[in-house]
Amino acid sequence: MLMEFLPLLIILLLAVFIGVFVVVLGSTFGPKRPGQRKNSPYESGMVPYGPAKRRISVRYYLIAVLFILFDIEVVFLVPWAVVVRQIGVPGLVFMIIFVLILEVAHLYAWKKGALEWD
Amino acid sequence: MIDAALIWEWIIKSLILIIFLTVGFMYVTVYERRFLARIQSRIGPNRAGPFGLLQPAADGLKLIFKEELIPANADKFIFLLAPIITVIPALIVLAVIPWGEAMVIFGRQVNLFISDVNVAVVYIMAVTSISVYGITLAGWSSNNKYALLGGLRATAQMISYELALGLAFMGPVVLAGSLSMVDIVRAQQSSLWYVVLQPAAFLIYFFASIAEINRAPFDMPEAEQELTAGYHAEYSGMKFALFFMAEYIKMIAISTIGATLFFGGFDGPFVDQIPWLGPIYLLAKVVIYLGVLIWVRASWPRIRYDRLMQLGWKIMFPLALLNVIITAVVVVLVN
Amino acid sequence: MEDQIFVSDLPSLDTLYPGKVTLDTRSGYSGFIVPREFLLEVSTEIHDVWGYDMLSSITGVDYFPEKMEVVYHFYRSLGGGALVLKVQVPRDDAVVPSIFSIYNGAEFQEREAWDLLGIKFDGHPDLRRILMWEGFEGFPLRKDWKEAYYEGDTKPFSSRWPEGVAEHSENKNIFNDNVKYPENFDPDKWIASGEEALYLGLQKSENGKDMETESIVINLGPQHPSTHGVFRMAALVDGEEIVDLKPAFGYLHRNHEKIGERNTFLQNMPFTDRLDYISSMSNNFGYALAVEKLMGVKPPERAEYIRVIMAELTRIESHFMSTGFLLNDLGAFFTPALYALKERELILDVFEAVSGSRMMCNYFRFGGVVRDLPAGIQETIKNLAFERLPGKVDELDQLLTENEIVRSRCMGIGVLTAEQAINLSVTGPILRASGVPYDIRRADPYSIYDRFDFDIPVFYHGDVYDRYLIRIEEMRQSVRIIQQAITQIPEGPVFEGKPQYQVRVPAGEAYGRVEAPKGELGFYVVSNGQANPWRYHVRAPSFINLTSLRQMCLKYKVADVIAILGSIDIVLGEVDR
Repeated sequence: MLMEFLPLLIILLLAVFIGVFVVVLGSTFGPKRPGQRKNSPYESGMVPYGPAKRRISVRYYLIAVLFILFDIEVVFLVPWAVVVRQIGVPGLVFMIIFVLILEVAHLYAWKKGALEWD
Repeated sequence: MIDAALIWEWIIKSLILIIFLTVGFMYVTVYERRFLARIQSRIGPNRAGPFGLLQPAADGLKLIFKEELIPANADKFIFLLAPIITVIPALIVLAVIPWGEAMVIFGRQVNLFISDVNVAVVYIMAVTSISVYGITLAGWSSNNKYALLGGLRATAQMISYELALGLAFMGPVVLAGSLSMVDIVRAQQSSLWYVVLQPAAFLIYFFASIAEINRAPFDMPEAEQELTAGYHAEYSGMKFALFFMAEYIKMIAISTIGATLFFGGFDGPFVDQIPWLGPIYLLAKVVIYLGVLIWVRASWPRIRYDRLMQLGWKIMFPLALLNVIITAVVVVLVN
Repeated sequence: MEDQIFVSDLPSLDTLYPGKVTLDTRSGYSGFIVPREFLLEVSTEIHDVWGYDMLSSITGVDYFPEKMEVVYHFYRSLGGGALVLKVQVPRDDAVVPSIFSIYNGAEFQEREAWDLLGIKFDGHPDLRRILMWEGFEGFPLRKDWKEAYYEGDTKPFSSRWPEGVAEHSENKNIFNDNVKYPENFDPDKWIASGEEALYLGLQKSENGKDMETESIVINLGPQHPSTHGVFRMAALVDGEEIVDLKPAFGYLHRNHEKIGERNTFLQNMPFTDRLDYISSMSNNFGYALAVEKLMGVKPPERAEYIRVIMAELTRIESHFMSTGFLLNDLGAFFTPALYALKERELILDVFEAVSGSRMMCNYFRFGGVVRDLPAGIQETIKNLAFERLPGKVDELDQLLTENEIVRSRCMGIGVLTAEQAINLSVTGPILRASGVPYDIRRADPYSIYDRFDFDIPVFYHGDVYDRYLIRIEEMRQSVRIIQQAITQIPEGPVFEGKPQYQVRVPAGEAYGRVEAPKGELGFYVVSNGQANPWRYHVRAPSFINLTSLRQMCLKYKVADVIAILGSIDIVLGEVDR
């Protein structure tokens, strides 16, 4: 059973190798002549005003929290989708109830303006 | 059970896939540039080699010999790590896609897939969601405001569209009754292609996957006009090439997954008599699908970021959910 | 022509406000002189009572060594001629009250006059240098200011041709001591002192939001792919939203006006090409009108027709370009831009045939155009106007107007109401997209525009979409004008009198303005009877239209700023001059 995942491990190792190899390739052959102006972060040619790493707009976190909530819903749907033929009408009814409950949450978030940007 | 030959078979198949993807990446760039040029009444790159076919090699060579800059105050380790994290999922996501019928090569029965895991759809969902880390980290570690904004946009956008994307997979899964890509292809062979049975799921998949790989018209994270290049603004040389490579390999990946889920994968006329036709059919479908992606890029302006999020959360997500439920109801009732 | 409201009855201000306003009686001059104490009072009156609601141009003239004069040109948005006010102040105490509170469009123009002439505007909210760099010393347009490598006040420089041999004096005095740097200046370490003031000038929002978030200052430009050149905006953003935004200029500044004052009148003609380098024919037109007013010459019929045809071709060509690049700014990957450029090339072919150059045409002369249309080009223009262009404009319209993404990106974005637009001195397509039917070709007709049958398109939402629509519509109207002009064009000479290198321009002042593709392009020229203009001021439409940028961008998203900027359609050669 787990044997099917072995080839995936092999290709993963190969992919990691490719990624590291390309980075090493670039840093081996490229010239290195750093300078103060050259290394400063790009902000359309101006000296950046204020740090770039700082507290960012809270709306992005809101989206992340909502995502976790609804992604779990999707995950619950996966096994159900496979066996929906076998479990028939009861399974279908239960899942519809589950989805409806979550849909209420979705509508609540919508109504509250969590999906808006201003 | 596991013998040396089997391991070699895995290694060879993995190598073939990775080489196919990297070479494919190079030629997708040429394909895109030439095709775009034709749409825009230009010629496109045609100097390096016949028909510009050596252009990607020239570009690659140039990038290898470019100086790589790391901005001051950047988080150096994460800055180096981010492009690698981005490219890995792109390279491995196609490992569960079947290329054709099993064939006999050198007297050995060889399945034309790297692995037929029974949770292939979950594998695809899991692997694609890793690439968001690379982009977020790239944006954060660059110590650049454009990159930070681009990274944040990318994060919010990719996770939002992952919901719709995951739900779009569920339609074919319900119909096929399996998470294995091989089974999904077989199910389409015995019935119709799922683009006919699941048109809504296909449309959602088409747009959500474009958003997931940040292609036009959903290329908010790198929005050149506003953010100058977004999360990879500070990357140069081969590290930039990795992001570029990831983007184009992801294009190939979503084309292949889309072709497999909705267009019957390697299925086509006479494929059961001549097994070699399988990979050719799949390749042809992928090339056409890629052409549509390029055409979309040439035609449409970019959607604004807030509209994109609203499209994802208010239209695509409920629609995809509804599609799954309706499909399930129909399947159960027909049974 | 019947339904045009024509307002020619200028109130005679000197009789209305005796003691406060006097007539400008110098020969060749017009308008009224106001002492600075009464400027605010009089300008409030002419704004509120007499309906002169558009401030077209503010500039200064340095009458060295006696006085400094500030010149205001006001217009009515209903149409009609100019009302010119002048304030005379001593050179060492050049302080004038700011009329920003009455005419918001004065903001950048007053800053420009401060920057270049050292005229201080009392009560201006943000009187910083605008075109020159922070730390620059002196006011370059003053007559006693000498530039680096100064050779003489007027061209042609006598040092250049001793016995016919070119000798460049910059070879003789490299880094002469008239290059002035501030104390302890080191270009590598230098950070503009005004930067901090610019950033701190950005207003934090004061809305009562329940989520307190931190906003970031981001520079969009100067080295930015979609600011149409080296234009810069400092923006305060909260997430994706623009809280405040200020444009910064001058990265392409070359002191066009100072060079213009050194040049002879005719030498300025090719120099105007470099202003809005997309539409050089219109620039030629405006300058030619101003100098012709001074000289009192009138071009022959055929030349007038040629001028109109060229100006309208320029308008089509410029609008094609701005429409294409607006789509680029919206994120379309060059396809619309390249479709538009394809048509532009055909028009440039015409320009090349008539003037010898595709972009820097230098085609107009005082009293006509430089040469007649070459054989066959009339057919080419006819073919363009009747066959090719109408279809191509329709094609662009079909491809873009109903596109769902274009509509959702453009509708309701960057709204400017009619009142705001007039008050901010906005002109051209932006003004007309805000619902003000003001087009100089109708409001204050010049050349032979009163002979043609064409409409002034107006839209009323004042958003990016309407600015796009108005350009499409204007292209159609320009095609109509060209169709009429090319069929009616008479035979005859194209130049009045004998072509001469050194034109004789009587003393006086003139303000010539044309409806350039980007808006009102005005040239304020003062002559003292010599071979060189005493003052040569350009009222650049893109520069003044940018006054409205902040107003349009507030509360919209970062992505919208780019679209709004694209819809203003700026050319940096003209903005920074």
